[in-house]
Amino acid sequence: MVLTVFDKIGTGVLRATDTFGDFAVLAGRAFVAIFKRPFDGKNLLNQFQSVGVNSIPVVVLTSLAVSMVFAVQLAFGFRQFQAEGLASQVEGLAVMRELAPVITGLMLAGRIGSAMAAELGTMQVTEQIDALECLATDPIHYLFVPRLLASMLVVPLLTVVAVYIGFWGGYLILVGVEGQSAYVYGNEFYKLLAFRDLRIAIYKGLVFGVIIALVGCWKGYRTQGGAEGVGNAPTSSVVTSSLWILISDFFLTKLLLV
Amino acid sequence: MAVIDVVNLSKAFGPKVVLSNVNLQVEEGESLVVLGGSGSGKTVLLRNIMGLLTPDSGHVAVEGKIIAQLTREELFIVRQSIGMCFQMAALFDSMTVFENVAFGLRRHHKMTEAEIHARVEECLAMVGLKETEKLKPAELSGGMKRRVGFARAIALKPKILLFDEPTTGLDPVMTDVIGRIILELKDELGITSITITHDLKSAFEIADRIALLFRGECIACQAPADFKVNPHPVIQQFLRGDADGPFLQDPPPPKRKTQEAHA
Repeated sequence: MVLTVFDKIGTGVLRATDTFGDFAVLAGRAFVAIFKRPFDGKNLLNQFQSVGVNSIPVVVLTSLAVSMVFAVQLAFGFRQFQAEGLASQVEGLAVMRELAPVITGLMLAGRIGSAMAAELGTMQVTEQIDALECLATDPIHYLFVPRLLASMLVVPLLTVVAVYIGFWGGYLILVGVEGQSAYVYGNEFYKLLAFRDLRIAIYKGLVFGVIIALVGCWKGYRTQGGAEGVGNAPTSSVVTSSLWILISDFFLTKLLLV
Repeated sequence: MAVIDVVNLSKAFGPKVVLSNVNLQVEEGESLVVLGGSGSGKTVLLRNIMGLLTPDSGHVAVEGKIIAQLTREELFIVRQSIGMCFQMAALFDSMTVFENVAFGLRRHHKMTEAEIHARVEECLAMVGLKETEKLKPAELSGGMKRRVGFARAIALKPKILLFDEPTTGLDPVMTDVIGRIILELKDELGITSITITHDLKSAFEIADRIALLFRGECIACQAPADFKVNPHPVIQQFLRGDADGPFLQDPPPPKRKTQEAHA
């Protein structure tokens, strides 16, 4: 009985180590492959299109919705203490430091991370990745690198877009509904913020972009088991990258705010 | 020296031994056909030759270079001299036929667009698929996909071609077409080739030698005429296509009952 428990724990630890090691090796190979030739500009542009341009509506809508809900909560909460004026300051702080980067990261994990896992997973089970190998092409270089570069550049940019939209989401509620002065809102929104906060949001976007691309590509690349495997890869990719986005957000916040 | 040298190759997946001490040599310009039942390790053999799998013991050498000992960069250089045709074609489904065939050329050769166009047209003409450049793989039939796969494999002018069950799932006429294309490629380009097939007719047409894999072991590798008269019971059963004999591990249903069911 006791041996069985130890056996199970040992197996679990070995499996976790194996999985993490596999991810680390593939991630390392992807970063090294960034500097290898040939540079595939067309492939990279396609990824900018699918990762970046096509994600704008999702980011705009979610950022608008979350910032509006948060403004409603703040207006209600601060009204209890007759401190409605603080709502716009806290809205600015929350949107810039947490809501914009995290919501953008989570939404893109769902939109582009899952798409990467599904695409590479399908390529894996239909032997297209083996075909790449046979055509003397490194799949890590051809498939991972454009997705990684596009994510690293696009997720921080979309985070900035989310901050901008977050400003207008708060504006709609606090100015449009709660009747605050537009001039005061415009000033108060940025009152507690410094340029450092925008830098932190961009850093977070960069790290989240790396997580989304690497986890999505890794889950797709390691897909096994036909249609069922292809079905599981995007789900697993979204869960894993969302988890890592939230965990890394905590450590980044602790590290960068010091 | 053999172009492809398979020496004591063994490969297992968990407890299942797929290849056990397989030895095969393929000389320059020779066409070897590998026969064997489903799951006998034929595809695993090809994947070991391409370096897609690593042997548990033994080795595969291509033009004297031991595949498992090469670095990734060295392996990619060797792979440029090998064309692989997959069982289900494995075409890149996001690309057109033209882009599929041009893929290797764009990656490995500094050719102008005009030169790439000319080479792609030449390869597609060889497999009888002119005027299909703009189609996507989803718009092609099974036989056309295989032929585009052939065109992609020969685009880089390889010295070696590996065919993984090129006729499986095709009708008899298309099977004959594919067999003729393989023969044409062999005669025109003088390529060394290994073909895995279940189709005995095309096997005897294209083979200089035929090998039979049985439960992971190579039990024969000889000229088609000698292979036909080899008295080994497994070979004779395979040639007859009879369910009764040592070939199957699980005994088949009795013949009489099957006939009664049809009656």
